[in-house]
Amino acid sequence: MNRTLPLLAALAVLLSSCEKEITVDLPETEPKLVVEGTIEVGGPPIVILTRTQSYFAPTDLNSIAAIFVKGAVVVVSDGITTDTLDQVCSSQIPDSLIDEAAAATGLDPDLLASADICVYTDLGNQLIGVEGRTYSLYVAADDKVCTSVTSIPHAVALDSTWFRLAQDEPDDDTLGFIWATLSDPDTMGNAYRWYAKRINDGSDGEDKDDSFIAPFFSVFEDRYVNGLTFDFSYNRGDDPYAEEDEDDAENGYFKVGDTVVVRFASIGLKEYQFYNSWYNNVASQGDLFSNPANARSNVDGGLGVWAGYSYAYDTVVCQP
Amino acid sequence: MFPEDEWGVKLVVGAWRNGANNGSNGVFTPDDPGNFARRQQPMLRHLRHLLALLLLLVASRTVRAQERFTISGYITDSASGEALIGASVFVQEISKGVPANVYGFYSITLDPGTYTLQVRYLGYRDIVRRVDLRSDTKLNFDMVDAATVIREAEVVGRKGKGNTESTDMGRVDVDVQKLRTLPAVFGEVDVLKVVQLIPGVKTNGEGNSGLYVRGGGPDQNLILLDDATVYNASHLFGFFSVFNADAVKNLELYKGGMPAQYGGRVSSVLDITMKEGNDQGFHGQGGIGLISSRLTLEGPLVKDRSSFIVSGRRTYIDVLTKPFLKEGSGFAGSGYYFYDLNAKANYRVSDKDRLYLSGYFGRDVFDFKGPDPGDPTFRIPWGNATVSARWNHVFGPKLFMNATATYSDYDFAFQGGQDGFNFSLISGIRDFGLKVDLAQYASVRHNLKYGGQYINHLYTPSTVVVESGDVAFNIDEPSKLRAHEGALYVQDEFEATDRLLVNAGLRLTTFAHVGSYTEYLVNDQGLTTGTREYAAGDRIASYTALEPRLSARWKLDKSSSIKASFNRGQQYVHLASFSSVALPTDVWIPSGANVKPLIGTQYAAGYFRDFADRMFETSVEVYYKDMYNLIEYAEGVQPQDNGNANYDANLVFGDGYSYGAELFVKKRTGRLNGWVGYTWSKTMRIFPDINGGEEFPSRWDRRHDLSVVVGYDLSKRWQFGAVFVYATGQAVTLPVNRYWIEGQLVSEYTERNGYRMAPYHRLDLSATLNNRDTKEVKDPTTGEVKEVPRKWHSSWTFAVYNAYNRMNPYFIYFDSEGVPSQGNFQVVAKQVSLFSILPSITWNFRF
Repeated sequence: MNRTLPLLAALAVLLSSCEKEITVDLPETEPKLVVEGTIEVGGPPIVILTRTQSYFAPTDLNSIAAIFVKGAVVVVSDGITTDTLDQVCSSQIPDSLIDEAAAATGLDPDLLASADICVYTDLGNQLIGVEGRTYSLYVAADDKVCTSVTSIPHAVALDSTWFRLAQDEPDDDTLGFIWATLSDPDTMGNAYRWYAKRINDGSDGEDKDDSFIAPFFSVFEDRYVNGLTFDFSYNRGDDPYAEEDEDDAENGYFKVGDTVVVRFASIGLKEYQFYNSWYNNVASQGDLFSNPANARSNVDGGLGVWAGYSYAYDTVVCQP
Repeated sequence: MFPEDEWGVKLVVGAWRNGANNGSNGVFTPDDPGNFARRQQPMLRHLRHLLALLLLLVASRTVRAQERFTISGYITDSASGEALIGASVFVQEISKGVPANVYGFYSITLDPGTYTLQVRYLGYRDIVRRVDLRSDTKLNFDMVDAATVIREAEVVGRKGKGNTESTDMGRVDVDVQKLRTLPAVFGEVDVLKVVQLIPGVKTNGEGNSGLYVRGGGPDQNLILLDDATVYNASHLFGFFSVFNADAVKNLELYKGGMPAQYGGRVSSVLDITMKEGNDQGFHGQGGIGLISSRLTLEGPLVKDRSSFIVSGRRTYIDVLTKPFLKEGSGFAGSGYYFYDLNAKANYRVSDKDRLYLSGYFGRDVFDFKGPDPGDPTFRIPWGNATVSARWNHVFGPKLFMNATATYSDYDFAFQGGQDGFNFSLISGIRDFGLKVDLAQYASVRHNLKYGGQYINHLYTPSTVVVESGDVAFNIDEPSKLRAHEGALYVQDEFEATDRLLVNAGLRLTTFAHVGSYTEYLVNDQGLTTGTREYAAGDRIASYTALEPRLSARWKLDKSSSIKASFNRGQQYVHLASFSSVALPTDVWIPSGANVKPLIGTQYAAGYFRDFADRMFETSVEVYYKDMYNLIEYAEGVQPQDNGNANYDANLVFGDGYSYGAELFVKKRTGRLNGWVGYTWSKTMRIFPDINGGEEFPSRWDRRHDLSVVVGYDLSKRWQFGAVFVYATGQAVTLPVNRYWIEGQLVSEYTERNGYRMAPYHRLDLSATLNNRDTKEVKDPTTGEVKEVPRKWHSSWTFAVYNAYNRMNPYFIYFDSEGVPSQGNFQVVAKQVSLFSILPSITWNFRF
């Protein structure tokens, strides 16, 4: 729930009188492995493996597609079952399943369709996420090894969810946010992540959202709310891959008539710390109002995150 | 008028320096601060040493002082009654002089006889007085401003004791009233900006009024306003200092060789004296500038006995931000302003007693409303308040005392809201202090000072309050932090031989963090498992140190000397900063069980030489400085992480060092005057938990730093000024690599401060037009036309900041947009510049 960054960004806007594009000469460093791995209750582990590249490396599609690592050895174990994950590449998937694959991996469907992108998962369903279990990860690729451990916490359901019109737009009677009441369990160390998906039809006759979208700073922990029952709200997150044709005025809002599925995730504290620092990193991008900081990875030998998720779902029909 | 001599900045006349008694008692092992801390000796033992030394010094004085007599008194401005700080009384027969102290008091002890006293002060007419000394004599001098008696802008070169005479190293005086003809951003005269033009003092980016002295951080400067500590000396995120030039009389900076009378900070002392108020008549002055207006009123409460001064300044709402808040930009509702109020009164109870009461109150308020739906709104107020009550007492012609009680407060709040969700963060520091300083003018060869100080600190580290709807989140009222700080000092400036002048001093400091205090007990996963309570007065951590200060001058010949200094100090307050600019979110915290006192040691040496009968003063100084136990927030810590945690939970600790060489050439006299300062320096930091433990440059590390300041007096009505600065580009941390998580571009930082922005350089120009000081009056009876002085004086200052419109880098950021699969993805580096060419007009008046 970081609410300070917009201010700092705005300060820069208020004070800056002019800016220009410059060329920056950055040192070359050895690429590192980046893990984006999740295991959720009832699902197989999914690991996306990429490499870092120089900040000003080429930005064309081929250059971006080349960061995905193929042929890695990825092993996940719950302490009893140890499974070497299968490599699944988008070129093997029929076009009709691309959107589903994108929703499952969080990758850009256009990218999956236009380049051969490989991820690692368990096609044989030998290893399925269970609440309370701990999962270790081993990755070997590019002559490097990374390891990590995560647990799937027990899900915490929201007491209730509802839609409320935005208070900052009094003239408008259609736009608002999703609210929820949460009773945080009486033990310290709970952390959460919020997702929402609009399942009513959009103008194209399909669901408005293809997948669950986590808004910016969608994670929080219970340091200040331990054991409390309280209300909170989230705005609507942006689909990072959306074409820019959305009505700007509705950006960030849910609208009367939307049917919204809220997916309320429980995650571990280390994973929370990764996501929170990752959001800070994405938000700051080198500005002077914050000390530059890397995302706090829970992966040894690499970057990124290995995170266990458990979910509780709610559906809200947006009415004024 | 343009001061004929020293353009607002002078290297000062033989004043009391810091000093150090090198009498090491084995406690100090300068290369091992950890050991140093462990081997602290009981305070009593230090105390004994100090008292023994004190007695020795006093006794030796008394014996020798028999059969000699003392001349003492006050030196003031005849028109206003203001004390003339640093005015010198020079005894021609023995070629020795003494300066007046900050209250205008001087004292000189001589054998019986007949003497010629010459009283001198820059810009004032000399007073020459014959004295037949047969008994202790009280002699007050009222000096006349040369400007009021000299019709043309003639050059009156004052030649007091200077550059090569004193033990001073790294001491600079700024005469605030002489700054108005210098160019300033938005036309706002700022005393701290002038201090930044001195070699060895650096800025942190465009427009910033923060001081970074010889590699030290902004928290290592002791900033005193009439003896009360000012914790945050800047307005508007550092663009302006809190010192309203109309209310400030004098500013003294010690960038090295800190005298024993000062302590508590390891890098520098900035001692600022407010005006006292005119005790002869009612006067006012003020100005109207582009972004603020000022008004100062002063006058006698009881003539010759008591006076007051009140001075206020306020910025025009939104002038700074309005151009950026266009209609419909969505930022409407955002705004910013600050104001300052200074007030002071004094009362001359008797010839021996004077009372002063002064106060400062200033506030910044920043309102923000974001442009996008759901964007939060914020209000950020912050400010300082200080009060000091002082009592001067003259015990005898040779012993002068000043007792001071001070109050300082700095508080900061950040109140944010967003659709039913409210967030606020407050922090602050409050001090009560008592101080007694004694100056003993034992003989012309000795100038002894001793005294003591006590400060009661109350720190409010970041306190977070969060509410969502009606539910208040359970954030503990954070434990306030209470601490006692005490000090005793003694110093003597003595002329060992005609060539050797030594200033030696010792300062004994002690600090204790005490209850009541609630400590969080934290398990190895970082989760709080419980608390431990300390009762009121319980000692949680304490530190004691003996700080040696020593400086010496060896005179080579009439116009050249070499000087050296050594000083060591401990600092018990620390500023923890979240960002690379001075934001008010920075939090003051005390030393404690985990936060060790910051220890600073500085060695300096220099060669000083005057040319052409002191028309030119030059110096070369080299220094080396060590700093131990510096603090920083750990990587990625955000202000809200400080809730429900120990105040030191998010800190990491390290050391630093700095060394450099400073060249200074000043033309003191003549129509064309000014100076050139150049610094070569290197400032590094070593933190085990930052940059992988590798040494990295500090943000204010600048290899080259050049300042050129030129003034030209064309006539009595027209004066011109120019300032040119050049500095190596600022060290910044930039991302080196990129990667992707959930479709978002992530930056990977590798080296802290590993990139240099483009060099900073800028030229500012100014022209001041004084309206005529006289008007023609026709005598109605004789018809004769006479020129009579006007009561009302006014002037226009036209200035251009950044005259050749250099786009200096303020910060660099990397921007990305688009989605790779759509073929529109790109990343660019952008450099933001803050101030392009900025003309300004200021109208000043006085009556």
